[in-house]
Amino acid sequence: MMSGTPIQNIPVAARVTPASIYVAPSLAAARDALSEYGAAGAPLAGGTWIMRSPIRHEPLKTHYVAIGRIAELSAIRISGNAVEIGAAVTHAALAAALADLPEFAGLVAAAGRSANPAIRAMATIGGNLSTSDFAAADCVPALLCLDADVEIADRNGRERISLAHFLEVRSKLAAGRIVTRIIVPRAECRTAHIRLPLRRSGDYPVAIVSLSVSVDAANRVRVARIAVGSVEPSARRWPPLEDALLGRPLDAAEAARIAAELTGEFIGRDSVDAPAWYRVSVLPGLVRRAVIAARGS
Amino acid sequence: MGFNLTVNGDRLSSAAEPATPLVDVLREEMHLTGAKPVCREGFCGACMVLVDGEPTPSCLLPAALADGREIQTVEGLAPLGQLNRIQAALEVSDAVQCGMCFPGMVVSLTHLLTTRPDATSDDIRAALTGNICRCTGYERIVEATLLALATA
Ligand SMILES: Cc1cc2nc3c(=O)[nH]c(=O)nc-3n(C[C@H](O)[C@@H](O)[C@H](O)COP(=O)(O)OP(=O)(O)OC[C@H]3O[C@@H](n4cnc5c(N)ncnc54)[C@H](O)[C@@H]3O)c2cc1C
Ligand code: FES
Ligand code: FES
Repeated sequence: MMSGTPIQNIPVAARVTPASIYVAPSLAAARDALSEYGAAGAPLAGGTWIMRSPIRHEPLKTHYVAIGRIAELSAIRISGNAVEIGAAVTHAALAAALADLPEFAGLVAAAGRSANPAIRAMATIGGNLSTSDFAAADCVPALLCLDADVEIADRNGRERISLAHFLEVRSKLAAGRIVTRIIVPRAECRTAHIRLPLRRSGDYPVAIVSLSVSVDAANRVRVARIAVGSVEPSARRWPPLEDALLGRPLDAAEAARIAAELTGEFIGRDSVDAPAWYRVSVLPGLVRRAVIAARGS
Repeated sequence: MGFNLTVNGDRLSSAAEPATPLVDVLREEMHLTGAKPVCREGFCGACMVLVDGEPTPSCLLPAALADGREIQTVEGLAPLGQLNRIQAALEVSDAVQCGMCFPGMVVSLTHLLTTRPDATSDDIRAALTGNICRCTGYERIVEATLLALATA
């Protein structure tokens, strides 16, 4: 992020390792190219992570397959029981497409307020979920609490797995595999996504709380899914807090009080922008804000 | 392998490596030094150009993906030496200090003026989230933009 990253103007020759970029016209062509390249190749979606590899002192791959112009991967299909999001859909396109569906308020906030407008028009949802070294990815916790599935394809076919499982295996995905779609079931629920950046906007969030909740007629919690991002190396659900909220009235102060008792299960990550303890200590406040936002959604 | 692009109306070709950031092609091959590589991370906006009309940090666009696209840099926004609306308003409002961020500011705000004629000061601030200015505190930039919108 901006704070803590020295401004670098590395000479061009050192920056540009020769890499081929094949602009795939179709998914079949992308799958074929990726399987041919094997471990020497990878998809290039928005490029907002890959193009910063030199700053992170990481080598580029020898071959990239650009997937941003594949129509099938850029489509969003909204039906009565699910929303299917092509992996190359940008954050801006996703936020615009779901803006009128109240149950997706959390995902719209995640996609529509991360980074800055020009980045949101480039960075894709598939790239956001696939970047295993990026702890602060906004759409990961938002989609975790929507119980999303991820479809992965290679030359031989397609497979659908839960997002939680995908997060466990993503850094070890076999060469040639590509995320094609994210499938989000529709349900009657209220959702919210609260992020704490150091500046009001533009920075990576120090911590994120995403929430999806449904209540009964007496405002008691029937289902709660809560995910925490940016605190640990990968986002994950917070089951003890979810269980503790079940059957109780949906109340922000009470949820924050319970959250404060349960933060012990997170081991924060230390980095130049925020110490580990700080990331954990802000969680109850973010839970409070998430409940307030969900009640209003 | 080379690629072709249109820059400020001129059709040009480049033989740059495919992963070369567009900002380097613009500055080092085409000698258009308005776009500045400052953070090379997409945070500061000093390298902002319009790609097919959309504000895009040129530090993050690989040359291969600029192939066939229409690029407008800050140099192309004042044809014939005539300042455009936002440039004139920034000058009148005495908004510029060191000037480092301004090529990017002008690109983002030129886009805002054409796409959001009803923009409020909050909309202007939101549109500038990816344009960082270390000198001005932004207030005069926002005022100048409101002035440009009012003189449409
Ligand atoms: C200044 C700045 C600020 C940002 N702030 C935030 C923020 O606050 N929150 C946030 O969530 N994001 C933020 N981002 C975006 C961040 O770069 C990534 O989260 C981004 O979403 C990655 O998407 P991409 O399409 O650009 O991926 P790319 O850079 O194209 O790829 C990233 C990785 O994913 C792999 N990949 C891409 N697509 C697929 C696919 N379909 N299948 C398999 N693997 C794939 C690539 O091979 C690569 O390893 C920011 C980016 C910038 C530049
Ligand atoms: S140099 Fe491109 S955004 Fe800073
Ligand atoms: S005027 Fe100096 S950085 Fe903006």
